[in-house]
Amino acid sequence: MSSHTRRLERVIEAALTGGVALSGLLLVAGLVLGSTDPLWWGVLLLILTPVVRVVVVTVGLVLDHDWLFASVSLFVLGVLLSSVYVAGRL
Amino acid sequence: MRYDAAVIALPTLILVLTGAATGLIGALLGLGGGVFLVPLLALTFGVPIRTAIAASLISVIATASASSTINLERGLVNMRLGMALEVATTIGGLAGGLIAVTLTQRQLFLAFGATLALMGVVMAVRSGRRNVIDDASVEPGRLGGRLMESGQTYVYRVRRLPLAMAASLVAGAISGLLGVGGGIIKVPVLNAFCGIPIRVAAATSAFMIGVTGAASAFIYFGRGDVALHLTAAVAIGALPGSLLGARLSHRVEARSLKLIMAVVLLVVGLRMALESF
Repeated sequence: MSSHTRRLERVIEAALTGGVALSGLLLVAGLVLGSTDPLWWGVLLLILTPVVRVVVVTVGLVLDHDWLFASVSLFVLGVLLSSVYVAGRL
Repeated sequence: MRYDAAVIALPTLILVLTGAATGLIGALLGLGGGVFLVPLLALTFGVPIRTAIAASLISVIATASASSTINLERGLVNMRLGMALEVATTIGGLAGGLIAVTLTQRQLFLAFGATLALMGVVMAVRSGRRNVIDDASVEPGRLGGRLMESGQTYVYRVRRLPLAMAASLVAGAISGLLGVGGGIIKVPVLNAFCGIPIRVAAATSAFMIGVTGAASAFIYFGRGDVALHLTAAVAIGALPGSLLGARLSHRVEARSLKLIMAVVLLVVGLRMALESF
């Protein structure tokens, strides 16, 4: 495995850990305080965490000049964004 | 637009423990906890099925994201293969979320139950096979990879990519429809037919599950099917449960992992099919 891939994996790990930890804190705060706002933000952040992961991968692959897989990743991001768009219109 | 489904009065601790148990088993088997969470919430706790599906989807995103950090660290995730298959899983996930309203629950339970049982049979029959090549100098190809296990390096090549894509599309659609991760479809197909070692198949599947779940979770969130308290409690339990499961899965021998999964697929499949009568 190339050092580029390994480095990208480290960044992905950090993004996933950060997203899950922050949303987890919000969810715990909401449950303990009995407040809806932190729960809403926690759930939204949790759903957004994989989206952020795809953004990180896309940027990483572009920086590595891996155009084929950067395009693949960009396509996945497009599908996710279209899901947000459709959800907003329901 | 609504964001919060009707509040369901269930004790927080019970929900946290339910999330923990299903997250543990899901991560242990590489299936995602939704396979167990949806039936538990719907059948045992009387949660409306759509609310259970939404809670499960979000819980599955949490568990898949958390266990992926461990799997990446171990070098088990085939990222390029995962990205290629995510094209199919996200399209499937989005479609599944959108068509969820057009099918009756009875039809869904029957089709899914039969699929799971079939996958269980395939898994059990092929549990003795190894897909890896012992010669580490063999070129794995653009999508294949190398796997370190017990101090030895194994090489695997990806075969039948169109089949893997098709299975990922179906897995994504089932994920969006029933709130499971879709690993239950992908892992057996990737392992039995596409040449991916079981641990890499499970880890790469979990890597995709977060993104797949997100594609349909936005739909459920936008439709107001997410019960915030229920979802939060279940997801909070699922996080430590899935991390523990991912750690323990390292110690389970590959053949027994396959046999456990085969039994799980059969039992859950039959239980789901029965629900349709």
